[in-house]
Amino acid sequence: MPQQETFSTAPSLAKVFVRAAVAGKKSGSTLPTSELVLAGHKVDRQHLMDYQRLCGFGVDDVLPHTYPHILGFPLQAELMARKAFPLPLMGLVHVENTITVRRSLTSDDVLDIAVHAENLREHPKGRQVDLVTEAIVDGEPVWSGRSTYLARGRGNPDAERGAQAPSMPQGVAAAQWSLPGDLGRQYAAVSGDVNPIHRHALTARAMGFPKAIAHGMWTYARTLGALGRSVNGPSTSHVWFKKPVLLPGKVDFVVDRTQSPVVAGLRATRKPETEHLVLTLDAAR
Amino acid sequence: MTPASPRRAAILGGNRIPFARQFGPYANASNQDMFTAALEGLVARTGIAGERLGEVVGGAVIKHSRDFNLTREAVLGSSLDPHTSAYDVQQACGTGLENAILVSNKIKLGQIESGIAGGVDTASDAPIMVSEKLRRKLLKINRGKTTLDMAKAALAIRPGDIGIATPANTEPRTGLSMGEHMAITAKKWGITREAQDELAAASHQNLAAAYDRGFFDDLMTSYLGLARDQNLRADSTVEKLGRLKPVFGKGEGATMTAGNSTPLSDGASAVLLSSEEWAAEHNLPVQAFFVDGEAAAVDYVHGDEGLLMAPAYAVPRLLARQGLSLQDFDYYEIHEAFASTVLSTLKAWEDEDFCRDRLGLEKPLGSIDRSKLNVNGSSLAAGHPFAATGGRIVASLAKMLHEKGAGSRGLISICAAGGQGVVAILEGA
Repeated sequence: MPQQETFSTAPSLAKVFVRAAVAGKKSGSTLPTSELVLAGHKVDRQHLMDYQRLCGFGVDDVLPHTYPHILGFPLQAELMARKAFPLPLMGLVHVENTITVRRSLTSDDVLDIAVHAENLREHPKGRQVDLVTEAIVDGEPVWSGRSTYLARGRGNPDAERGAQAPSMPQGVAAAQWSLPGDLGRQYAAVSGDVNPIHRHALTARAMGFPKAIAHGMWTYARTLGALGRSVNGPSTSHVWFKKPVLLPGKVDFVVDRTQSPVVAGLRATRKPETEHLVLTLDAAR
Repeated sequence: MTPASPRRAAILGGNRIPFARQFGPYANASNQDMFTAALEGLVARTGIAGERLGEVVGGAVIKHSRDFNLTREAVLGSSLDPHTSAYDVQQACGTGLENAILVSNKIKLGQIESGIAGGVDTASDAPIMVSEKLRRKLLKINRGKTTLDMAKAALAIRPGDIGIATPANTEPRTGLSMGEHMAITAKKWGITREAQDELAAASHQNLAAAYDRGFFDDLMTSYLGLARDQNLRADSTVEKLGRLKPVFGKGEGATMTAGNSTPLSDGASAVLLSSEEWAAEHNLPVQAFFVDGEAAAVDYVHGDEGLLMAPAYAVPRLLARQGLSLQDFDYYEIHEAFASTVLSTLKAWEDEDFCRDRLGLEKPLGSIDRSKLNVNGSSLAAGHPFAATGGRIVASLAKMLHEKGAGSRGLISICAAGGQGVVAILEGA
């Protein structure tokens, strides 16, 4: 059994990031065995509403497909910022994510959120690790997420790449979204993810990006939100993050519902060959 | 008598979210959010997710211009088949009931097999308008072709132009609020403070009792933490209501208080109607039939009649068409815009002069058995999100008539701003 550490409130991401920024070099090839648990989390309705509005979900009592992820993310960051975690938090790139909603969750559900790391592995471009988040209500696992992060570095060209992303749906955009310059700040306010690459062009430039970039989890949530309310019921999604979305910017939402599972994606409106993300969704209609 | 109707329009069930007081738990919810929630609850309860309905008709009295397709947007946000068409109607507080008339008429004519009628309103998330002067100047700036044009137009803005306005519960033609209008009518009909407070207390007590016996369990979906109408005071009494100070009307004779007037509220409701064949195909029991509806309007502008008295005219016309008397009903649902609205209407129907001179009747419509009036509470207790009230009443009455048995009858009467009124008859199945 992994060692459990229970939190009554989520760790502050701002503090975690500061700790990570001043931490020394990370190394090693084993993962911490701790499981971090946020116990008895009651949904804050105002927070839920802010999240639903920002990500394009309807404002009601049903938790969006991606909502438990943002409850668990501070635990992920806390775990990854620790000395025992072999990869540097600030250099990690969120490359893939899967989520399974086992039953429709509501704001009345009191959630236990448990996070652990597993499957540290080589990748052609560095090393990858999975952060697994489980949401539990009354002992019943109701939701799970697997976030895959890549630490760029000396890779192993022979390493497994994992499941390949499906190709992006082609054709005309089902919708076009203009993303405002302050989207990163808006999402940071709701998610607590205050990573400077999302906040401002200046802070993003300091981190090597030409402009502020949208949070991947926002683009994922917004794309799912556009696929209808079935995403909040029993369903599974798998997203591959490709090129970051620079802010402000305009993106095309594309979808192919003839496939099963459904494939959807975001591409740059002005340069359609730039693909931001592609995802699959398996949901009961 | 009506021409023979080719078929009947059945009411299969309804759903609403609990009504909240203005700036209460739904303060930040939009009309679209609330209507989608009410709609989705109805879809889930009746198991019609993925169905293409004939139409969904909704609407709101207070609406942002960006919500031009409010109902269609709610359908797209629901689990209904996106091929379901939808439109908005606005007839002030009569909106919800008018929508049920529209859907039932199309069903009777065979134009559609099924449809949802409803409505929503928010008194909290209201549109804000700039002053009329500023609006005209801003439009001029927007029309400017060059930056210079626009700058010139912008210079015309004066500090005094800057002001915001929110929608008010005021009649545009008279400048009087609805309460002030009602106070005139209440005085004319000699409606006492005690009678109003009694009706208000009964509304709260009846609504509380209905909750206690689970009447609303299959008529409501909780929303944003609210599971019961926020305005409900189960312990309301005539004594407590008697302590409130009058807010409408002037001086000694003022009788209307915040307790016997409906508060501004937020909420949404929706009702599923269909042909009997469609109901059978979908294994949904018919609760009641939508028999007939009628709307009326009065000239309140020139003092000829009270603003909220139109239902007093609509009901006798409907009764005559259906060959019924006012006493032929098991339940009366008279919307409580104000306690005095209900009491003035009832008094008018008992009044020989009014019935002769205004309605052209040989004898008065007469009294009703007051124990059949608003038996599960009405707007004074539940609150009154304008366009949502019709759906609330139709769904509740259909269930009451179903419990009463086949052939039972209910009368609905709803007054509306602009001197209008919408009324309807339902029959139990």
